[in-house]
Amino acid sequence: MMSEEPRVGVFVCHCGLNIAGVIDVKELIEYARTLPNVLVAMDNRYTCADPGQEEIRKAIKEHDLNRVVVAACSPRMHEPTFRRTVADAGLNPYLFEMANIREFASWCHPSTPKEATDKAKEIVKMAVAKAKLLQRLETMEVPVTNKALIIGGGIAGISSALDLADMGFKVYLLEKSESIGGHMAALDKTFPTLDCSICIEGPKMVDVSRHPNIEILSYADLVSVKGFVGNFKVKIRGNPRYVIAADCTGCGECRDACPIEFPNEWDENLGVRKAISVPFDQAVPLVYTINRDYCIECFKCVDACGARQAINFEQEPEDIELEVGTILVSTGFDIYKPTDDSRYGYSRFDNVITAMEFERLILAAGPTGGKVVRASDGEKPHSVAFIQCVGSRDVNKYEYCSGFCCMYALKNAVLLKEKYRDDVEVYIFYMDMRTHFKGYEEFYRRARELGVNFIRGRISQINEDPKTKNLLIRAEDMMLGDPLELEAELVVLSTAAIPSKGADEVSRILSITRGADGFFMESHPKLKPLDTSVDGIFLAGACQGPKDIPYSVSQGSGAAARAATILSQPTWKIEPIIADIDSSKCRNVNAKCGICVKKCPYGAIKALENKAASVTAAMCHGCGTCVAECPTDAITQMHFTDAQILAQVRAALEENPEGKILGFLCNWCSYAGADLAGTSRFEYPPTMRAIRVMCSGRVDRDFVLEAFRQGAGMVLVGACHLPYDCHYISGNYKMKDRMDALARIFEKLGLSPERFRVEYVSAAEGVKFAAIMREMTEQLEALGPEKIKAENEKLRPTLDKMLSRKRKK
Amino acid sequence: MVLHAKRYSLTLDKNKCTGCGICMEICPREAIEVTKTPKIEGEAAKPPTVAISEEKCTYCGMCETLCAFGALSIKINGEHIIPVVNSESFPQLIREITVDETKCGVECAEIEDACPLDLIKVSVHTPDGKEITGANSRLNKENLEVTVNIDKDSCPCCQLCETKFPDSAIRVEKIFHGNLRINREKCPEDCHDCLDVCPIPGVLYLLDDGKVHVNELNCIYCGVCRIVCPEEGALELNRTRIRHTEVRSGAWNKALEKLASTKAMTKELKTKSGKRLYESMKSRFPPEVENDV
Repeated sequence: MMSEEPRVGVFVCHCGLNIAGVIDVKELIEYARTLPNVLVAMDNRYTCADPGQEEIRKAIKEHDLNRVVVAACSPRMHEPTFRRTVADAGLNPYLFEMANIREFASWCHPSTPKEATDKAKEIVKMAVAKAKLLQRLETMEVPVTNKALIIGGGIAGISSALDLADMGFKVYLLEKSESIGGHMAALDKTFPTLDCSICIEGPKMVDVSRHPNIEILSYADLVSVKGFVGNFKVKIRGNPRYVIAADCTGCGECRDACPIEFPNEWDENLGVRKAISVPFDQAVPLVYTINRDYCIECFKCVDACGARQAINFEQEPEDIELEVGTILVSTGFDIYKPTDDSRYGYSRFDNVITAMEFERLILAAGPTGGKVVRASDGEKPHSVAFIQCVGSRDVNKYEYCSGFCCMYALKNAVLLKEKYRDDVEVYIFYMDMRTHFKGYEEFYRRARELGVNFIRGRISQINEDPKTKNLLIRAEDMMLGDPLELEAELVVLSTAAIPSKGADEVSRILSITRGADGFFMESHPKLKPLDTSVDGIFLAGACQGPKDIPYSVSQGSGAAARAATILSQPTWKIEPIIADIDSSKCRNVNAKCGICVKKCPYGAIKALENKAASVTAAMCHGCGTCVAECPTDAITQMHFTDAQILAQVRAALEENPEGKILGFLCNWCSYAGADLAGTSRFEYPPTMRAIRVMCSGRVDRDFVLEAFRQGAGMVLVGACHLPYDCHYISGNYKMKDRMDALARIFEKLGLSPERFRVEYVSAAEGVKFAAIMREMTEQLEALGPEKIKAENEKLRPTLDKMLSRKRKK
Repeated sequence: MVLHAKRYSLTLDKNKCTGCGICMEICPREAIEVTKTPKIEGEAAKPPTVAISEEKCTYCGMCETLCAFGALSIKINGEHIIPVVNSESFPQLIREITVDETKCGVECAEIEDACPLDLIKVSVHTPDGKEITGANSRLNKENLEVTVNIDKDSCPCCQLCETKFPDSAIRVEKIFHGNLRINREKCPEDCHDCLDVCPIPGVLYLLDDGKVHVNELNCIYCGVCRIVCPEEGALELNRTRIRHTEVRSGAWNKALEKLASTKAMTKELKTKSGKRLYESMKSRFPPEVENDV
């Protein structure tokens, strides 16, 4: 591709005194000029400022440069800036390389300017070595289907659907149950304004059903998703309702004729529904469903439906195929039922219920017509105790705070007080009252003013009085430090919000990750809270973690806006830093290999029998794990090729290799952690020479071998923390497996174990990175160059043999 | 099933239940299990036991309507309600029991003892409404009023009362019709388990050959004998007709198919106004059944 001779320009930035205050910039420029293929080297006070950028553009034109190296801050800071600069001058933006001499030299070695300058020189040398091998890369464009699929029709999904549809995009709203609405449709009143939940959500649900751009696919399951951003192919299975949706008028005559009742899950099984029915009156779509598990097939409904002929007992599941450009996941949450925790007596004692069950009881349209009654005797309770944090904030159960329980307990307490006044005594057992957000604290005060009793303390046991069926609550009053026993006629448990049952399957089908808590993981907790690790798939609402209604609605709208950034484009640009397979080298042609297919965290590689494996460019995220794993080196990661990285290794270790630590740092965590050590001015010895890779999964065994062959004192591989921090889902695990095996080989070959190290450093762990550097340098000095040299000599023949394949290239 | 809004119960009167298993056969939820009572060596066979799963039961009431002995009872919120009957989605058994009280004389009292299930109560009153008890005190008294009370809901209509007292006031029509055959060559040696559990005396009897024989005159075709029979095929029971109130119901057709046969069901469908139902259910039948009818 690049047959022309490289013509490199090096531009050193003073960054005011940030760099120039420690590093001898003049000396650095002089040094740069001596490097092969460097035509021009110059300095600037602020290279990133307009005049600095202009200088680069001018130099490119004047000296006909075809490679540019900027020695300045971290590439995580200004790489995009300078890529644009060189592109403005007509150079391919990928012919640019950055040398990080600020975070990695001047900032972390201020008291040793001489060593810092030497390190900066080698950093520039490594950058030039890589720059010479850089290749032109073209950004790819894929067409965009400007339709969206929303999975989950709760309030978050409804908000997304309406926003996207109003923007003019076609929206498919997939809902697994019979009606959209989600949990919100089952609630009584909403905090802190006490407006009726279905009264505010109902109209939205109707809007969805009437919107010309929205198609509701209810009572249907997600089967499979293939493709990539802009071009997803979705398979959906519509479950048979045994009622023809188009012919059902929702009149309910069939329901009246039906003799069979079964517990209504929508009512938390407190009430019943008919074998042919809708879960609740406001259901959208208003289409009846026959539950064949309960139906006795008397066909009275067929008679009742009469001429409308909407009932069809022969209905089969329907397969639906869609093509969409983006997917929004809003699958919501489930509610924990503490049947496995004997302390609460739930399911053993009639009068211990969950807060969701309480919602259905106090709801005027609920099974009891809004009467709060006890299951044991149907009587109104005179004392009600709410127990907070049931399952939540419990290290043995769900470690996180479910967020909205404090508020709904307050809300239910206020409703009870306002409904029954002095006829009911209300207690809330809590750990901490969490009433942040607008109007919540004021609501807390309202509850206190109404005479709700707040008891701070976790309960230890609930027992039942066998005669009265009242509950005896044993707890500790943390305010007084005294044990306490209280008798209540009804106990309401504020149970944890937990990941929805189907989350595992959705995560499998979409290849999106879940956190340790089981909720879906956002791409970045601060800056990309609505994105997933898969391009074109976004998150909204409680599927990402428990959220109340306003938060879910905002996220729904936010995710819609994120999706629209793609849907509004005719085509979508894809970063060219991806894997590319040389089919002439692929082993899968002759043998059954498929290692890359197994190792790819995104399912972006396909390997058909007796055919070379191939990468779906738009699905590849450019981690490079497959490249490192390929037994025949048939795969290349663009911009991080073996040749480029090996050139950096050799450049770094040309002089005094025994005194150096060669580090392979992943872009997102350990490199960022090292950056932070610099930004925080944590000083550490200047022994490290770092090579940036996108993911630790890219670190080929051969890189480590070559480093030791070149005489490196130590090698460090830095990765994101296990288990979930990897930005490429599982690249860090793949690296770990590979390096564990390599460490065993080194042990056999007599390498001192401290000379090869794998570390997990997060982007926030600057302190840890500096500490590792200090520790390793101490060990390096303790070993001494002589011992290292001797070990390396002993190792060399084996390494030569292991690397013979690579050197042939 | 206890819900906040409703309370459902299905109770089984073990004194009335014979363990015949009709309820199990027709339960659409497989909520009823009838199991043989383990036999103790040297003792007579005991009727099977019936267990109802509260979790599976939907309290539809089909079992109650079909129980010949009236042993099952559904209550919703304490009230006796049979949902399938209220909605006319299931028929009721027709128990045609007539009592001609004009024929009753004081000697009618004896008929009480004719009922093997103890369902007939004959009471004798003086004209001023005083009840007279004891057989002797009835004798030689004029102008006594005789009333016959029959617990009709629990009567399986064996006709034994009529058989024993052909001239009495009670006339009974059978509910279940059919045939019962014993293939005696298959009967195990000295086995009379069927006879032990049969609720109606005289239907099954032992002869000198040591084998059980059938007198179908009073057989109610309940089928408890078939359940306890240890030998496959030794006892053959076929129900051909069940007297029931007229109804259009797929659920009943299914039940009839289970209790009698597909043939009996299609026959009934053809003769009744169930044409459309028949059409809608046609796909469920194998073609040979179609042609058979």
